[in-house]
Amino acid sequence: MVAVLYFALFAMSFDFISGYTGYLSFGHAAFYGTGAYAVILIANGKVPLLPAGTPFMVSLLVAAVLAGLLAVAIGLVSFRLSGVYFAMITLGFAQVLYVFVRGWDYVASNPRDGPAVGSTHPEGFEIGIPFVDQLNLAIGTFSGDTVTLLGHELGTYTVSFYMVGLVALVSYFAMQRIVHSPFGRVMIAIRENEERARAIGYDTFRYKLGAFVISGFFGGVAGALYAGFARSVTPESTFYFLTTGDALLASIIGGFGTLAGPLYGHLFDHSIREFLSNTGQGGGLLPFLRETLPEGVLSAELLGGLTVEGFIGAALNGHAALYVGIVFVLFVLYVPSGLVGTLRSYLGGPVAERLPAKLWGER
Amino acid sequence: MGFGEGLRQFLGPDTLASVVVEGLAKSAIYVMIASGLTLIFGLMGVLNFAHGSLTMIGAYLAGLVMVTLVGSATGAWTRLALFFVALVAVFAALALLGGVMEVGLIRQLYDRPPIYQILLTFGLTLVLEEIVRIVVLFYGLQPISEWRAALGTRPAMLSAEHSLGPLSVRGLALFEIALGAATVVGIWAFLTRTRYGLYIRAGSEDAEMAEALGIDVRRVFTVVFALGAGVAGAAGALLMWDPVWGANVPLAAETLLPAFVVVIIGGLGTFRGTVAGAVVVGMADATTTWWFQNVAVTWTWLPEITVFLILVGMLIVKPQGLFGVEEVGGH
Repeated sequence: MVAVLYFALFAMSFDFISGYTGYLSFGHAAFYGTGAYAVILIANGKVPLLPAGTPFMVSLLVAAVLAGLLAVAIGLVSFRLSGVYFAMITLGFAQVLYVFVRGWDYVASNPRDGPAVGSTHPEGFEIGIPFVDQLNLAIGTFSGDTVTLLGHELGTYTVSFYMVGLVALVSYFAMQRIVHSPFGRVMIAIRENEERARAIGYDTFRYKLGAFVISGFFGGVAGALYAGFARSVTPESTFYFLTTGDALLASIIGGFGTLAGPLYGHLFDHSIREFLSNTGQGGGLLPFLRETLPEGVLSAELLGGLTVEGFIGAALNGHAALYVGIVFVLFVLYVPSGLVGTLRSYLGGPVAERLPAKLWGER
Repeated sequence: MGFGEGLRQFLGPDTLASVVVEGLAKSAIYVMIASGLTLIFGLMGVLNFAHGSLTMIGAYLAGLVMVTLVGSATGAWTRLALFFVALVAVFAALALLGGVMEVGLIRQLYDRPPIYQILLTFGLTLVLEEIVRIVVLFYGLQPISEWRAALGTRPAMLSAEHSLGPLSVRGLALFEIALGAATVVGIWAFLTRTRYGLYIRAGSEDAEMAEALGIDVRRVFTVVFALGAGVAGAAGALLMWDPVWGANVPLAAETLLPAFVVVIIGGLGTFRGTVAGAVVVGMADATTTWWFQNVAVTWTWLPEITVFLILVGMLIVKPQGLFGVEEVGGH
């Protein structure tokens, strides 16, 4: 479930630019990848001026700033275009980086498989304020800290969950603040009618570029968290355009243009995948059906030697992408404002404000 | 080989001519992959993300036809004829699928912002790809040997090298060039010489006016989508015979991205531009591949990255593409 947090942060950063200004940033994976690769390269001592022992929060910030700078470079060129052309040029930039990173043997001995944190950094990455030991907790799949809190033993995974969640939460509130500031209002104005926004006197180019850079920055934070937790990254899971596609999925299902939506969207997506995977930790549908359906049903023949068991095996085993895709298509067709957006219009305002009133009546 | 010597050899007449032929063969492939995309975008303004998946399905279907019929095929000419049977069958099947997709799904979205059509077709690729993956796994097709067999149905005269004057040319390259040229001529003739082509051109010029003049634009949309999907499938049939591509699931993404690059370089929605874009990309691909194979260039990613660098460069210098007009279809 840690994956939900860092990836939802990435999906939020994608929604921040695409959902709020209406510019579909199809190459957003470039920022995620930059953040992820920067963290691992710093940990391996491969970045000049930053030794292998650089605190994680410093390398996270450096990674995010690098992603932000990349966003300046891409944005300066791309925001001369709009619509489909904007989506394509950002996709083009991301693919150039993807192909480049996949072939650059400086990052890893086998760049196609991507780099991993090497022996220079055996312990987990510490999240907290650098050089203040009391506040630091390490994250990492197996190398994080364990904490005893009020008699409860929290494992490495749980600690990682909360620490990654903390950074994601802070980033969420930061973006939330920006969206509700005058700056965010201009972003929405650009989405609704860019010509009019320009006519009132806003320099829309600068606003778009600013939003893109902020979005790239938080995309970089998400990538850095991913790298810090997973300790190894691949070009496919970071720079590839389908990574952006996953963020798009999360945004649409959760609600395009609602900052919190991508979190729920990705949670939904992740749950379906977990539920349908063969080895789902929560049991999963396939083992459940295998155990509960009677033998007669399982061995019944459908057609041409295809038994029911064979059919559910073939249709369910690890093919969550099919069902996620169908859900996605249904959402695009029938629930265009997504989970959070629909709930919001049903309640007539932000969910957190309106839900108590709806449940317990106006006070 | 060093750089200077490489340049001297590259500019020699023999090498240059063979690179040009290879480039044209690649261009032919690109034009077949991309022309369906451009037809659909030109008229309907829908950027079809499912296009690559359609090509991939086409490759599998053509492979299936070839594998099932290969037992009855002996001579090279019979096999060639069977390929065209497969081509027609795949075209028909994919056109039907495309028509169903348009009527069932995309039609509901015309009055929404264009972003939703992109999103819908993006979702469709996920679904289509996964269905193919399930079918392939279920029938145990994916030990690739089965599809190597489909590749093996290629007659010897296409695999062999033919001498063309002083030049030695792969038979497959000539075949691809011929098929690509036939596709271009066919679509061009359809657009400019038939009544339906007239409707399509009228619809892409001004859909409302065409509607007022009594053209059923909705039906034209369906026909164009079916046609585009059919051409994508036909491209898949061609790829199935090309050892560089073959039939596999990742083919969807591998063909989608170059197709985007080609239509954007040429100018979204213009057929003429797509042909020009395909030639540019094909030539660049052949040239960089030659450099990578023959000169001591250690950048294994050179051909791949060049294609995207051309895309980015084009969008910076002339966003509307070689033959495009600004903001086609209001996007």
